[in-house]
Amino acid sequence: VIDVHALAAAVQLLGASWQPWLVVVPGILIGLIVHAVPGLTTSMALAICLPIIPYMDFLQALIFMTAMYAGALFGVAIPAVLLNVPGSAAAVGTTFDGFPMAQAGKHNEALGLALAASCAGQAVAYLLLLCLAQPIAAFAIKLGPPEMLVVSIWGLTLIARLRGRHMARGLLAGAFGLLLGTVGLSARGAPRGTFGIDLLLDGIPTVPAIVGLFAAAELFNLVGREFIVDDLTRRRVDASRILAGMRETFHHPGTLLRGALLGAGIGILPGGHAIANLLSYSEARRAAKDPERFGTGDPRGIIAAESANASSEGGSMATLLALGIPTGGATAVMLVAFSMHNITGGPSFMRDHADLVYAVILSSLAQVGILAVVGFAFIFVAGFIVKVRLRALVPVVLAMAVIGSFALAQNMAGPVTLVVFAIIGWLMQRFDYPVAAVVVGLLLGRLTEGALLRTYQMSGGDIGFMFTRPIALVLLALLVGSIVLPYLRALRSGIAANGTEKIGGQGKIV
Amino acid sequence: MAAPLPTFGFAGRRIAVDIPHLAFATGIVAWAVWFCRDAWRSARDVENLIMIVPASIAAVAFYIVVAAGCFHILDLAAPPVESPRRPLDRRLGLKIAGTMAMLAAFVVAGPLIGFDVASFAYVLAMLFFLGERRVLVLLLVPAVFCAVAIYSFDTILATPLPLLLVPGDSS
Repeated sequence: VIDVHALAAAVQLLGASWQPWLVVVPGILIGLIVHAVPGLTTSMALAICLPIIPYMDFLQALIFMTAMYAGALFGVAIPAVLLNVPGSAAAVGTTFDGFPMAQAGKHNEALGLALAASCAGQAVAYLLLLCLAQPIAAFAIKLGPPEMLVVSIWGLTLIARLRGRHMARGLLAGAFGLLLGTVGLSARGAPRGTFGIDLLLDGIPTVPAIVGLFAAAELFNLVGREFIVDDLTRRRVDASRILAGMRETFHHPGTLLRGALLGAGIGILPGGHAIANLLSYSEARRAAKDPERFGTGDPRGIIAAESANASSEGGSMATLLALGIPTGGATAVMLVAFSMHNITGGPSFMRDHADLVYAVILSSLAQVGILAVVGFAFIFVAGFIVKVRLRALVPVVLAMAVIGSFALAQNMAGPVTLVVFAIIGWLMQRFDYPVAAVVVGLLLGRLTEGALLRTYQMSGGDIGFMFTRPIALVLLALLVGSIVLPYLRALRSGIAANGTEKIGGQGKIV
Repeated sequence: MAAPLPTFGFAGRRIAVDIPHLAFATGIVAWAVWFCRDAWRSARDVENLIMIVPASIAAVAFYIVVAAGCFHILDLAAPPVESPRRPLDRRLGLKIAGTMAMLAAFVVAGPLIGFDVASFAYVLAMLFFLGERRVLVLLLVPAVFCAVAIYSFDTILATPLPLLLVPGDSS
């Protein structure tokens, strides 16, 4: 499976000069810093750096961009944990348990967990890519709208699991989010729910909406308090506690590995990057014996979300390198960098430049170790957020989010969306609706609609078409299993409990 | 201590209603129905409605369940039903409302008068509003924030921002 000659050539390429390695630390730092600002995205950072790409040789440019990507993958977790503000859609799952941990004074452990899970997720994904680059490419080409539809529906089942204390409110919130996700032009160019505002034709800007929904819910409520963490002794940024968090990550190998594998698999799909963390979180919660602990500051929630988010990079890189297809904004910008060096991604790239592909994979594996060190140091800087008084932190974060939203959308749609969703988010929290359900719906609305429509067009409305798609059927079986199995398990344990009760003191289980 | 829900007499019974929650849920479903109608009027083809119609129907169905939960039918002698929410402390409520209002004002003012001046004014006003009284902090925090934010976005990230006083590189 591994082309040994190409691998040896890649090692030689990386070892021949120290120059390609010079860009790793700056790349990781840029990724980390950019995502500390709510509203800024990896694709934006990559695009900003495009002008310097022609001045680097191709390998150095690729290493620089993957380093930036690697930094960003962990960077999004920092505001998600410390402020409940996900830097991007990919960090939504991290907020569920990250912020409750921070509020309980466990921000050091939470960030340590996120860093270790991010590094481990990336390592697993790149090891997979190293061993299975060719088969992954062959697999990726077989994935189409029906498979994407099943994955999207899988993601939507998360809404039911995020229902909070009231099932109907959670489902109403999810349906609301789905509808919000479809605002804008339809596939045929019909405007929907735009109020006649041209800025909404492209849909509701997702990042400002998510920042608004999450930031509002917490920041508005925090205005009456002094600090995020009330207890003075718990506000310290403590290396031993960060390390304890990092160590704890490896006490949950099942959660870590499941997240990493799910992320790598879903990262192959277009848009999969945004779903991976949610799906992994959902599956970790489903598989847990005590799912009620999720959402209250459970380390497994952070591990599941972060490992999947990080490993989805490997998946999207596989699609980029093997097929020349970008699966998201960041990989699309990377493809532009390819063209700057007159190189086209795709099967011919894999065939003709296998040494370069392996060099990128090997350097990315090395970057994981560098990220662990740089990220650890960065936590010290970022951790000071909990020491800042909220009366200064709240306006600064809100102002940064507004400017970031404006910069992202380049018009008023970004900031206005942020404010509108900030108010909706606060009201939802007040009336005990799960804000996360709206976010899941919003993220998956357009994705599901597109996959549903293309599947419908491909099948001509014939449901039997799905039986001609073996991968879709396997995914469907997994989806049905993930829904039905917990109920069967609960039913079985219920029967067992009843049996024990009936038998009473005899200590037998029927 | 939660406040009791308002009650209304109906057919010899008393009905307690969670009016704020009912209004919020009704607002959501009203938008969903309007959105579905808007999409329907825009184009009645599968491409347009394949997702919107089922999701809207689901929203209405879930709303009915939520709305039903906002009504509590009571006997005449039954004690009042308490609101499921803790009442907002008056001072905290004012602070939250003020924070929302100032954020909205900043969003409108930023692009109009420039983010440099608007950011400075917004951060300063919020600091004061949230209880900061030290003059040095009141001046230093907005100034440092503006400098860092404008330099980062306008110069490093080359993102065009509307600015009034700062000669921007990209605007």
